[in-house]
Amino acid sequence: MSIEPLAPPKKPKRLPVLPQRGKLSMFEIALFVACLVLIAVELSQNLRDVMVLTFLFAGLGLAWNIAGGYAGLISFGHAAFFGIGAYTSTILFVSAGLTPWIGLWCGGVLAAAAGALLALICARLRGPFFILSTLAAAEVVRIGALNWSSLTGGPEGLSILPVANVANMVFVSKTAYAVLMLAYVVFVYAITKALEGSRYGYYLFAVRDDEEAASAAGVNPLLVRTAAMGLSAFLTGIGGSLFAQYFLYLDPTFVISPELSFQFALLPAVGGLGTAIGPVLGSFLITPLSELLRSYLGNAAAGLHLVIYSAGLIVVMLYFPGGLAAALNRLGRGWKRKP
Amino acid sequence: MTAILEVRNLSRAFGSLMAVNDVSFNVEQGELLGLIGPNGAGKSTLYNLVAGLLRPTRGEIVFDGQNVTGWKSHRIAQVGIARTFQIPKPYRQLSVVENVMLTAFQQERTVSGAMALAEATLADVGLSEYLTAPVGTLTVGLLKRLEVARALAMRPKLVLFDEIMAGLTPAEIGVMTNFVALLPARGITVIWVEHVLYAIMKTATRIMVLNRGELIANGPPAAIARDPAVVKAYLGEEMTIA
Repeated sequence: MSIEPLAPPKKPKRLPVLPQRGKLSMFEIALFVACLVLIAVELSQNLRDVMVLTFLFAGLGLAWNIAGGYAGLISFGHAAFFGIGAYTSTILFVSAGLTPWIGLWCGGVLAAAAGALLALICARLRGPFFILSTLAAAEVVRIGALNWSSLTGGPEGLSILPVANVANMVFVSKTAYAVLMLAYVVFVYAITKALEGSRYGYYLFAVRDDEEAASAAGVNPLLVRTAAMGLSAFLTGIGGSLFAQYFLYLDPTFVISPELSFQFALLPAVGGLGTAIGPVLGSFLITPLSELLRSYLGNAAAGLHLVIYSAGLIVVMLYFPGGLAAALNRLGRGWKRKP
Repeated sequence: MTAILEVRNLSRAFGSLMAVNDVSFNVEQGELLGLIGPNGAGKSTLYNLVAGLLRPTRGEIVFDGQNVTGWKSHRIAQVGIARTFQIPKPYRQLSVVENVMLTAFQQERTVSGAMALAEATLADVGLSEYLTAPVGTLTVGLLKRLEVARALAMRPKLVLFDEIMAGLTPAEIGVMTNFVALLPARGITVIWVEHVLYAIMKTATRIMVLNRGELIANGPPAAIARDPAVVKAYLGEEMTIA
């Protein structure tokens, strides 16, 4: 009943093994342990601040990556979901007294609804047209937040009273925030890994690589795009709430800025699109680089830190095709070959 | 015999051009139906209509007793119609076995189950050596086999093959022809568009000829080869010198 295989013209070029989708590697576990150690050691307030941001942005990069890397929905509008999450939990906390521990889920759900809606509105848009629409949608949200002063405080922004206690999710120690942000990374990472190892992860890959082929395989591309965008926005919204609890101040110009959207996309791009470890590596490289350059060079020569930062980015993009994750993979395989 | 696919008065217009014009036919369970015609005859449009990639302007499509006219392509796939693409459309960033797993998920909802079904299907088409190969490394001939494996991994009731022989060597064509000929015995009804006529003439139980969007002939291969309308469509009118 089977057809006889023809003699292959040459030995097939094979990957050594199938990608272990959904399984944790030793490297990932080691990286997590290293993060725990970094939390435990004494650090200056400045370095601790860098660490909190690095973790937060790792989680946000991971969240973006579900849409951008896995489903191929490149979005330059994720700051809108971030802002929706941040504002929702903050407004609920400031005006209704709802603890941010619950508020952040509300923010996530609202952001998810916005993400799913955007995917439906942009159902027929692909490539640059989709990207530009996400950028425009975020601008709509930013301008809306600026003008709806009664709800958002408009350009003056919103402040959270710095009353430190666990129920308020406000802490004095930056170490506590580092733990909170690391928990966020682990949460988003676990979801990413579970997705990757499941049927649904494959649906995202299929829709990304070829929508017509995916639908011929019985996969509903619109449903997959909507769900991917919703999940990605949900996790981004939670990140927004955490950010609000750390800074204790929100204004639309920063929280819903295009720069922030670009940052979310940049971390996975540098680290490796469509890989779980990519956005984490991206944030571990880029966030400290940009924060430290700013704090050490920001006053010396205006703009110099941005020049160095951009040059560094260009080097990474040029010399690490596929991102840091791919480079790491090549390195790992090289080691295995030489016993 | 029962009809698994009934196409009634199907038409599709692109502007003023009737790409498919009032086409009606039945496909019986277990048939191997060849669909031929010159370039631009409307074969691909007819496929895209049946597979749900295009909506018909007029007419009806009934599959397995169910009216599926105007259904989206993923729903068509879910009721058991598989297809290959004339230009292979692999998922570029996935390995060979993962490409097939995506259709296998129609049958096997777990990753491990789908992988087992995908491996078995790939063994069927002689791609066992290539399970973990990145699809970018496959030759045209192997990509065509991958297309066939993807279509079969969902265990379809009806499969639409679109020029799976194009770009293959004569030896590969022979192997593939024998493979396709055995599918009806496994309970898979086949419609097959092909330009490699000798392969289809040898294998098909019946042949339909499409020309300028219209069905001009429908019958056993031997009769089709002698049909003057078919000869005219392919070769033009006989020249007479006055």
